[in-house]
Order: sequence, then structure tokens, then C-alpha cells
Amino acid sequence: MNVEQVSEHSGGPLLGLNKVSKHFGGLAAVQDVDLQVWPREIVSVIGPNGAGKTTVFNLITCLYRPTSGDILLEGRTLVGLSPDHVVRRGIARTFQNIRLFNNMTVLENVLVGQHTRLKANILGAFFRPPNVVHEEAEARKRAIELLGFFGSALVERQEEYVMNLSYADKRRVEVARALAANPRLLLLDEPTAGMNEAETLEAVKYVRRLRDELNLTILLIEHKLTVTMGISDRISVLDYGRKIAEGLPEEVRRNEKVIEAYLGKGTKAAEQESVE
Amino acid sequence: MSIANTLVPARRDTRALLIKWIVGLLVPVAVFTFVWSGEAIINNALLSLLGTGNVALGISLVVQLAIFILIFYATVITLAGYLVAADSGQRGMIELWIDILVFVVVPLLLVISLGLIIGFALCAVVWPLYFLVRRRVRQALHYTPPPPLQNLRILDAEQRADLMSRAIMGGFWFSIALAVVWLIADLIFYVSGALPTILLISAVIRTLILPVAGYFLGRLAGVIALRRTIAQKNGGNGESDTDRAGRRISKRRQLEELSTTRKREEARDLVPNDLPLRSTGAQRFYLILIVAFVLFYPVIDPFLFGFGTDGRLAGYGDAGYYVILALGLNIVVGFAGLLDLGYVAFFAIGSYAWGIIGSTQLTNILSLPPINQHLLSGLFWPMIIGAALIAAFFGVLLGLPTLRLRGDYLAIVTLGFGEIVPIVFLELDKYTNGPNGIVGVYAPAFPGTNWLSATPYYYLILALIALTIFANIRLRDSRLGRAWIAIREDEIAAASSGINLRNTKLMAFGAGAFFSGFAGAYHAAKLGLVSPDNFSVGDSIIYLAMVVIGGIGSIPGVIVGALAVYSINQFLLAQLDSLAADPSNPLFAIHNAIAHVFPGFTFGNIRNLIFGVLLVVIMIFRPEGLIPSARRRRELHAGADEQAEVGALDVVPGAPGFESEVRI
Amino acid sequence: MTLFLQELVVGITTGAIYALIALGYTMVYGIIELINFAHGDIFMISTFVCITIFAAFGITSSSSAPTGLALVGVLLVTLLGTMLICAVLGVVIERVAYRPLRNAPRLAPLISAIGVSLILEDVGKLWKGINFVSFPQIFPEITYYIGPVYITSVNILVIVVALVLMVALQWLVTRTRTGRAMRAVAQDREAAALMGVNVNRIIAITFFIGAALAGAAGLIYGLQFGSTIFVLGFTLGLFAFTAAVLGGIGNLVGAMLGGVLIGVIEALASLIPDSVLPHGGAAWHEAVIFVVLILILVFRPSGLLGQRTPEKV
Repeated sequence: MNVEQVSEHSGGPLLGLNKVSKHFGGLAAVQDVDLQVWPREIVSVIGPNGAGKTTVFNLITCLYRPTSGDILLEGRTLVGLSPDHVVRRGIARTFQNIRLFNNMTVLENVLVGQHTRLKANILGAFFRPPNVVHEEAEARKRAIELLGFFGSALVERQEEYVMNLSYADKRRVEVARALAANPRLLLLDEPTAGMNEAETLEAVKYVRRLRDELNLTILLIEHKLTVTMGISDRISVLDYGRKIAEGLPEEVRRNEKVIEAYLGKGTKAAEQESVE
Repeated sequence: MSIANTLVPARRDTRALLIKWIVGLLVPVAVFTFVWSGEAIINNALLSLLGTGNVALGISLVVQLAIFILIFYATVITLAGYLVAADSGQRGMIELWIDILVFVVVPLLLVISLGLIIGFALCAVVWPLYFLVRRRVRQALHYTPPPPLQNLRILDAEQRADLMSRAIMGGFWFSIALAVVWLIADLIFYVSGALPTILLISAVIRTLILPVAGYFLGRLAGVIALRRTIAQKNGGNGESDTDRAGRRISKRRQLEELSTTRKREEARDLVPNDLPLRSTGAQRFYLILIVAFVLFYPVIDPFLFGFGTDGRLAGYGDAGYYVILALGLNIVVGFAGLLDLGYVAFFAIGSYAWGIIGSTQLTNILSLPPINQHLLSGLFWPMIIGAALIAAFFGVLLGLPTLRLRGDYLAIVTLGFGEIVPIVFLELDKYTNGPNGIVGVYAPAFPGTNWLSATPYYYLILALIALTIFANIRLRDSRLGRAWIAIREDEIAAASSGINLRNTKLMAFGAGAFFSGFAGAYHAAKLGLVSPDNFSVGDSIIYLAMVVIGGIGSIPGVIVGALAVYSINQFLLAQLDSLAADPSNPLFAIHNAIAHVFPGFTFGNIRNLIFGVLLVVIMIFRPEGLIPSARRRRELHAGADEQAEVGALDVVPGAPGFESEVRI
Repeated sequence: MTLFLQELVVGITTGAIYALIALGYTMVYGIIELINFAHGDIFMISTFVCITIFAAFGITSSSSAPTGLALVGVLLVTLLGTMLICAVLGVVIERVAYRPLRNAPRLAPLISAIGVSLILEDVGKLWKGINFVSFPQIFPEITYYIGPVYITSVNILVIVVALVLMVALQWLVTRTRTGRAMRAVAQDREAAALMGVNVNRIIAITFFIGAALAGAAGLIYGLQFGSTIFVLGFTLGLFAFTAAVLGGIGNLVGAMLGGVLIGVIEALASLIPDSVLPHGGAAWHEAVIFVVLILILVFRPSGLLGQRTPEKV
């Protein structure tokens, strides 16, 4: 297997951000953020628009390099790695705006997700020795299993080109593609964006199942407070690039700074209704 | 069932089908046999065999001709059976006959009278015209062809038996019709004195053999057709999919789930079907015919086109290396989406690789005593791979600086390389002999072949092309191929899915350049000389034009594109010029009129103009090219709502802002 | 040393021409993010147009050159004439070959641009044939000596014309409403449209101006070098594009600076002796410039005057 497995790091957090900052020219998108995610946790990162949440994700997956600070996965630093290396270490993600490969089928998208787990190189592609044939067959089987996590609907549409799918289906395929890399940590960027109530509920269910059934640790960015409150073990709140609060959902909900960040100063009176 | 039952069509609709297809197929086959050369080939072969006749052909030639003829007629008869079986009967006879007329008979006649290249070129003009006219006529008549989907149905046992019997009848009656027509024709020839008596006997034998063959070939056609039917839910021999969640799901169920576009594509695959002529099943037959034609071409060319076989073969050999170059460039541009405008550099490298080793140049450079020519010639075969590897190495090398560049910049840098490499070869004359080039490059050595004629080169390039196509298909459908397409679609998502952009892109450059090495070595050996004049930046643009016009990313597309561009480049314009020199030809007047305004005008001169116009027109009206890959058509005609996500690499390198920070 | 300074003079002169052409590239790229492959060929067409205008005046070689006021008149007419013709050509090309592809994937307008370039080259070939065409050098050549180094009146004309046009462009872009609109569209097309800017018109104006500058470049090139050929646009276009990238694509002053620098680099390259490069640097000047391009794109893609990317930690 190509996923670099580190022996279970006993005790420490799975993911750690230590005083991570990211500056773009003069703008501080992320400033001195500390964050820890422990195995099998579901942690949400919330905050108003522009707070720097997606930037944090991009930093974790090494699409950006932090201006300062360190990012550790199981105690080993991620800073300086290339994004595909990060996948090999065991982190996979989805995107806020869904970045699927539109002109590939559902199955092919998930197969691409398995790229790091497969070994065939260019000679293998040309000669197709038995081990490569076997590897491809196994990869297809696994891809179908992953699609099956969401029920039979996607399995039956596996030869469909992804651009023809519904929005909710596309999100599921993106998650399946991320799962295909066999990650330890899954980053979900606004997994319920654009969904109606029913779809949101369903999404919440499968996020829980991802943790319960697949043993994943999940870090998610979410705007819908109902979702975050309901699903998270812990919540971190960002505003203008800084972490302003962290803790259990109930604590965060009542936190003054959080309410201010979302609603502006002087709304303490209305806090109970608004945050519900 | 008695033979009579099997062979006599009981129902009227079956009879209608038989008439439809027999007449439809008989006409082109008759044209080929009588107007062109089918008859001539057979008769000459037979006569040679019998020791008489004016053309004495060696035994090996006769055998090859015999094989070709057998394959040809057997395939056509089986095709007849298949089509009768596969047709659902929805579309009318007349419609089909017109289609066959326009798409088979007319090209045949054009090629016969004007030659292969001009013939097909004219087809490229005739067909769009036909489509236009047909659309107008249909609009005027308020006719819309029914969507093909209507006919997908699961066949029960009785229907399947019916299918088989239709196939048998199709094969049988077609061959009878063919035999009868042929016999009549031969009798006419005999009576008019053109046919020696002895061949009349063979004609009779043929008339007896054909129906028998037709029966069995019809059976074969039935088997093939049945394989393409929708099976019952469990078992049966439809194309079942085994790996869907581990259960066997019937094809029909699968179809129900697919979108309309895919349904339509699948529908063409299955039997029975509204458009069997265009179906995937029939395409297999066409492929057999094309392969037979191509493989046996050197042998049948004298019959098809008369004198000058060698010259034509040499030309096709050249067309062949264009095909390889197009396929190689397709990997870089089509699969991985990297716009390479400097591909000629690798072609040059491949050429010089063989040029230096397969000549006296190497010993000149190293100041060694001369090496036996035979020895070096023998090295050609390993050197094909050698040149390819050298070219691949440089492909990777020249790809390195481009890794972080986006589309436009990548193009410019590769363009620059395409300019520089020929300059390097020109100026480093200690190694490359500079502007004079390397002359006396050796031909390959192969026991029993004379490399002074064009025929061995023809087969060599066919082999290389086959190898290249095979490699392309394998690459495309592999882990690496998926990675390339992913990169083309969305680099950030690809990197975030675990694809190492750097290595994958370098692989694309290397693989693409590899095949240009084939073409380079071949070119050097065939031409016998390598000089910097042969490689100019303009060539890279031509190669790009081949890929774009043919269909970016589509393997059959770029092959057709390469042939089309090559014909325009080498044949068409030259032909137009020679036609225009003849005062009796209307082109003469046109040529003079234009030359009044533009004194330098010849048709050959405006080659780039034509390519330029083609490129612009194609980009605006049919960006997916002549024969698009399935993906591409979807991609380029997706609605405006499908605005592509702006990825980091859509931003000017170094511009301030979030996206430019992305480090991939 | 003398040689060095002399080459410097040559370089600055040629560089001025490159700068004018580079401006066209950089403006178009800044506004629609397309490398206009056909731009260099517009420059080439301009040289042919000038020859034709001269011929209309009865000027076919330097011997039939007018003098004094007539000379000025002819030059002005030719300059304005070719600038206008090229500008119109540029706008037509944009309308026909690029605008329909504005929302197409990146590859499409690029290939279309290549197609237009091919068309223009063949038009040039048909017009004036495949060989070098002589360009009447009608500006009187007077050599001025500054120490051991000389500079001719033609050189001065080239530099002056280029400077005037560049200053005019800078004024247009920074001080006029249209210029502001151009900068807005370059920064954010959608926002500019929302602000009421007619984006299509602004893009057309950009092409108009860029092509006009290329037209002017054609005239002064011809006066300086005395000959032209139908493939001129390709090579010089590549050099000018390198200049635009060197200065920072999208940045006007950068293009001007880059042009001069590339001219100087090219001139100085010819000083490279035989021992370093076979046949001496002059034979390799295309390669040298191209290497410069690669180096910039690899190490400092933002160019000299583009925004600096933060250092990698």
C-alpha cells in the first residue's frame, strides 16, 4: 500500500496546528491559529464568511504553505510537502464548490481517488501484466463498494458522466472519491451547502456513519449552525483569521465573542433565538 | 425445421428487410467488383494460376490476392446477414438506399475516378452538403426520425430464433443475388469476348459456392448479432456486467438508469436497432474491411489505380509518420491537456538519433575507422526503440521548465523549444554536419527485403502505427491515463486526490516524445538524409492542426486528422496546382484570376492560409474536431451554466492574491 | 568597451521597437488573458502596408525619397495610415476569431489565434512573395558621434517615435475615462460590467490601440532595417512577447522596460565569442532570448515589475 502508515500515535492528537499563520502580501488570512483534532473526533470549524476557514483547509492539505507555524499529522510535520504527498500521509478532502472531474464517469472519479493506493506505472499500463489486471479489477470493486456506502443509487449510475448528476449526488461522489484514498483524516468543506432540509439531514447521517463505520476522523467547515451543533464533538470558531472560541457546542453557542462575530455588537438580547 | 423453412422468408416484413439490405449492399459491392477491380483481381489471379493470361503474378502474390478477396467477400456477406438480423425495421428502404448511395457509393466512385486522396477530399465537401440538404428536406416535409431508443426490448427465445433465421436468410439470399448478378455480368463479358472461356467455368463454380457460403456465413452473422441482444434478466448471452455490487444486473436495468445521452449511445450497440448500419456491431465489420484493405494494399494497388504503385506507397509511408506524430502529440495535448507547440523538436531528435548512428557520421565524430554498413543497418531495429527513448528523455527534460506554467505560457515555452532545437542542430555542425545535414543515412536491414522500393517502408510504418495505436489505447485506459485526464480537467482536484502533478506531466511529455522518436527514426531511414531544413517551427503547428482538426484526445480522430492534413499538405494542393496548369480545366481560369491580384499565387502557397482558416473555423463551430472523443463533445458543448471553476492556474503566474499562492 | 557601448545603442533602438510591439501583447493579455499569436503578424503586415503607401507616393527606394516638409508629410501620413489600418485589422480579428470563444475552454482561443497567425503569414506571402522585400529607407541618415560610439538619425527617430507613443499610451491609460475602464476590465471583468462599463467595446478598443502601436512599430522598423519578410512577425513577435513577460505581463511600463532590455540583451549576445558558442553569439540570438524567457518564467514569473511573490520559507 502506498499510504504511508504511521504506527498509531498513542495519546497525541491526530492533527495539530501550532500557531499557524498565512499572509497574502499584506493581508493576514489566518493568524496564529491553534487547532487540535483527536482520533475519531468530529470537529467543526465555523465562522463568518471570509474568516479563513477554507484557507485553513488549504494549509492542511498543503495547497498553501504557512507563513509561520507548524502543521503536524500524528506528530510528523506536513509543512513543505506537496499536496499529493499529504494524501499519501492520510488526509483527504472535499471542496466547497465541488471539484469533480466533469468529463469522467462516477466510477472513474472514484478510481482517480484511489491513485495513491494503486501501483501500476507506465510500463504496467502498456504491458498489462496479471498483477496490474488484478489491481484494476480490485480497484473497480472497491470503487463500487465506496459508492455503495451511499446506497445503491450511485452504484447504478456508475457509468454516468458526473456532469449530469444532481447536486447532492455530486457531493456524494466527491466524498466517495476522497474516501477512495483510504484517509485517516477527512476534511469536508461545507458538505451541506446548497442542500435542502431533507438532504442536509441525510448528509449529517452519513457524516456520522463515516466516523462510526469507517473509523475516520473528520474536520468539517460548516455554515449551518444546526448541523454543527448537532454533529460536532467540538467546535472551533474563526473570525478575521483568528480563533476566537473553541469548545463543546453548548459552550460555543453561548460565547459572547462568537455571537458578536456573527451578528455584530449589541445583540446579546436576541442571542437565544438567533443562534438556535 | 426443414431447410426450406429456414431459407424462405415467410413473413412480408422479413421479405421487405431482405430486399432492403440486399439491394442496398449489392450496389456498392457491384461497383467494387465490376467498375473497380474486384473482378479484375480475381480473374488475373486465376489466370496466373492457370499459367495463361497477360499478367504473370508470382505465387505469393496470388495467395495474397486470394486471401484479400476471400476476406472481402466473406465479410460483406456476413455483414449482409448481420444487418438483416439487426435491423428493427423502423427506418424505410429508400432512406437507407440514399444513405448508402451517399456514404458508400459516391466515395467509391470519386476515389475510382480521382484517386484516393482527392476522392476522399471531395467527400469531405459532399457530405456536409448532403447533411445540409437532408436537413432542409426533412424540415420541409416535417419529418423527424424516431429516436432510436424506442426499440430496445428484451428478446424471448422465439424472437431470438427469428433473429437467427433472418441472419441466415440475409446471408443466403444476398449471396444468391450476388452470384446471379455476377454470373450475368460474366456472361455478358463472355459474349462480348472479354472473358476467356476458362474463366466461365470458374464463374459457374463460384455461382454454386456462393449460396452455400452465404448460408454458413449467415449463421455466423446470426451468432454475432445474438451476442448483442438484451438478455433475459438471468442468464442468457447478452452483454452482462458482472462487477456491479457483485450481482448480475441485466443490461436492460442498467439502461434504465443511464441518462438519455448514454442511452442513445448504448442503443447503437444493441440489436435490434434502428440504425444498424452505424451500430457498433457493424463497425466491427467495417474495421475488418479497412484492415484488410490496408494490409493488402500494396498487392491490390496495381489493380485499383494502375501504374505508379511505388510512388503512391512512398507517399502513404510519409502519411504514416504523420499519423504517428499526431498520436504522440495526442498524448500530450489530448490526454493530459498540455498545449505543446514545439513537438517538432522531438521529431528532429529522433531523426538525428538514427541519422548519426546509422551513417558514417558517428565514426566521423569519434574519429573511428568506418564500421560495416550492414552492421549499422541491422542496428536500425533496436535504434527505433533507442531513438524513441532518447526523444522521451528530452521530452522529460524540456518538460521540466514548463511544470508550473499554465496553458498559454506553456504553449509559448514549448514553441520556443521547437524553434531552438533545430537551431541547435544547425549550429552544432561538428556533430550534426550543420546546414548540409547528414546524408547517406542507412536503410534498415531485414532478410529478404529490398529497401529501395517503397513497399517495405509501407509495412514498417503500418507496424509502427499499429504499435502506437495499441500503446495509446492501453495508456488511455490505465491508472496513468486517468491521472492525465484528471490533470486536464482540474489540476487542483487532481493534486488533492493524490496525483503527483510533476511526475505525471513529465510522463506525458516523455510518452508523447517517445512516439515521435519512432517517426523520426523511420523518417531518417526512409529519406536517407537528415537536415535542419526538414524541421521548422511551422511543422509543430501542422502537427497541432492534425490533432485539433481530427479531434483532440480522440484516437481515431487524430488519425483521420493526420491523414487529412497530410493530404492537404502534400497532395491536394499540388494536385490542384497541376490541374490548374491545364488550360481546359476550370481551375485554370480561377488560378489566373487570383494571380492577377496576388502575383505569387499558387495553390501550394496558400497552405498555411487554409490551415489557419480551418483552425479558426473549427474552434468556433466544431471545437471537438472531426471525430470527437466521447468526452470532448460533452465538454465543449456543455451549457453556459457549466462555468469551469477558476483554478489557481488560471491566474497569471506571480499575480498577487490567494490563488497564485497555490503550490502545485 | 566601444563595442559594448555601440551594441548598447543598437540594443536600445531595437528595444524601442520591441517595446511598442510588447505593449500590444501585454495589453491584450491583461484584459482577456490570451496570448495574441497574431499580434506579431500584424506588425509584419504593417511593414507591407507602409511599402505600399510609399509606393502610392511614388517612393520605391531611398533615391526617390522626398525631403524637408514633404518628407515629414509623407512620414506622418504613412504613420497614421498604417496605424489606422492595423488598428482596424486588430479589431476585426478580435471580433471574428476571439470573441465567439470568450467563454470557451482555454485551449480554443489560443488555437484560433494560431490560426489567424497562419492566415496573416500567408497573406503576407501572397502579397509580397517569400523573399526579403526591401523597405525604402527614406529618412536621411546622419551619423552623430559621441566619442567612439555613433548613433544615427534613424536611431533617434525610432526612439523618439516610440517614446512619444508610449507616453501617449500612458497618458491615455492613466488620465482618461477609457483608460480607467480598460484597467478596470483588466482587473475584474464582471465587476467592471456591473459598474456599467461596456466590456466588449473596451476590449475592442484595447485591440485597436495595441494593433495601432504594432503598426507604428512596423514603420520605424522598416526605416531602420530596410527590409522585411513575411515571417518577420513570428520571430519578432516571440521576442516582443518575451519582453512583455520580462517586464511583467499586464504591466505597461514593464512592457516598455522589457522591450528595451530584450533589445539590449539581443545586441549584447552577438558579442559572445566563437569559443563559447560555435559560430558566435549572433547565430544563437534567438536561443539566447528564449533562454531568458524560460529563466524568467521559472524563477520570477511575475516579471520585473510585477508584484513580488512572497518568499518561500
